[in-house]
Amino acid sequence: MLELNEVFETNKMVSHENLDVRTITMGISLLDCCDSDLNTLCDNIYRKIVTSAKDLVRVGDEIGLEYGIPVINKRISVTPIAIVGSSACKTCDDFVKIAETLDKAAVEVGVNFIGGFSALVQKGMTPADEMLIRSLPKALSGTERICSSISLASTKTGIDMDAVKLMGTIVKEIAEATKDKDSNGCSKLVIFCNPADDNPFMAGAFHGVTEADRVINVGVSGPGVVKTAVSKVKGENFEVLCETIKKTAFKVTRVGQLVAKEASRKLNVPFGIVDLSLAPTPAVGDSIADIIHEMGIEYVGAPGTTAALAILNDQVKKGGVMASSYVGGLSGAFIPVTEDSSMAYAAEIGSLTIEKLEAMTCVCSVGLDMIAIPGDTTASTISGIIADEMAIGMINQKTTAVRLIPVVGKGVGDYAEFGGLFGRAPIMPVNKYSCEDFINRGGRIPAPIHSFKN
Amino acid sequence: MSRTIITLVGKDHTGIIAAVCNYFAENNINILDISQTTVQEYINMMMIVDLSKYTKEFPILVSDLDAVGKKVGCSIKAQHEEIFDMMHRI
Repeated sequence: MLELNEVFETNKMVSHENLDVRTITMGISLLDCCDSDLNTLCDNIYRKIVTSAKDLVRVGDEIGLEYGIPVINKRISVTPIAIVGSSACKTCDDFVKIAETLDKAAVEVGVNFIGGFSALVQKGMTPADEMLIRSLPKALSGTERICSSISLASTKTGIDMDAVKLMGTIVKEIAEATKDKDSNGCSKLVIFCNPADDNPFMAGAFHGVTEADRVINVGVSGPGVVKTAVSKVKGENFEVLCETIKKTAFKVTRVGQLVAKEASRKLNVPFGIVDLSLAPTPAVGDSIADIIHEMGIEYVGAPGTTAALAILNDQVKKGGVMASSYVGGLSGAFIPVTEDSSMAYAAEIGSLTIEKLEAMTCVCSVGLDMIAIPGDTTASTISGIIADEMAIGMINQKTTAVRLIPVVGKGVGDYAEFGGLFGRAPIMPVNKYSCEDFINRGGRIPAPIHSFKN
Repeated sequence: MSRTIITLVGKDHTGIIAAVCNYFAENNINILDISQTTVQEYINMMMIVDLSKYTKEFPILVSDLDAVGKKVGCSIKAQHEEIFDMMHRI
């Protein structure tokens, strides 16, 4: 029989510590929509999404009410559009038309984001891949709810440096196309190495080609819950600290597992995975930087930060894996700068730099995420930062990502404001020396050796 | 059997539990278990109830309890039992 304190502990997590289910994401395969005629393709895509996801938002809200746990976002991920549109699209504008169709479908079913305006080019680009990439400035500035991800590298194939070079230019063009909103178009584009096919979190969600026709993936959250738990073991040794995080992650993930199963049952769509990621929001107390602070680091970025983040990431996985029957996606701690108010503060006072963030990405779940940089940063420097991050993912056999925002018209000392879940942050300084000759070489970086690990 | 957890938090005074129980009696909701503590004039109460004879929709129960809560100056929530079982039992 349940105890009074257990019931109140759960409800306190929701009311005081921001426990929520961050997203129920329905993955929808669009492979059966393919057609060589663009209008037919767009009709097929619209019809499939609207039919498949018509009850998604209602069911998400219903579950939230029945269990007393907020389900914040209801979202959709689709098959990478570069594949779906490859036979119909002859120009970049054709891809923009697909983006507009997706946007219209998202509005119709009431989801706030739809991910999968994506291309997987880790070994080379097809003409369709390149057209989709070149359509991004127009597609992301002309739509509201589209998220894009481009995969440029993997451990098995190496890094496509031609695509890395192109993406540096494209990121700048997206920034320019959305300059009246602090270049926020860049916040809807993730550049990946080793992407996850079943990631429910935006902006990097897409429905991989190895997935079933439709699937329900759930992303849990709860940095505030972990922070509160860690604050209760102040001064205790690492064994106690690790056990505490592990137990808390177990509890948080169980909620995700329950919601995922229930959503799957009510929507009659197979359950895919629970993503164990700790995803911060700009809300006070909903921060990864605050957890690191509670672990004993004055401000995130100080020496010890990477070790603290490694502990956090690993213990979250250890606790979460037992709590769910299928774990997937990115599963770890996210370290977006603008979306985490304490992270943004650490950047403002100079404790957190891009170089330290790069080191942190070696041990956490994603990468250089939501970092505002000066608008006059060159395309080749952006490509260089992307190449560095791709190399970390490739060599360490993990997912890494880059979501940089060169804010047009702003420089170090200014603040970028994105509003809502995207938050705000100071413009961070970037190393001013050039990597242009390196980026201009062109070609591919070969896949790494899988032995002699040191 | 559809088991639901009712939680109530608020400043203690006479008639709080009576108001909640009256609502349950009127709506064919059977109480299976009650536990409560009072700390410094504040009441924390939990009930396990059976909704199998309750004929209305769950969202109506939630909003009705909200109205009862407002009348007696407390916050009353209804949640399916499973969320607590999942979190606290392996």
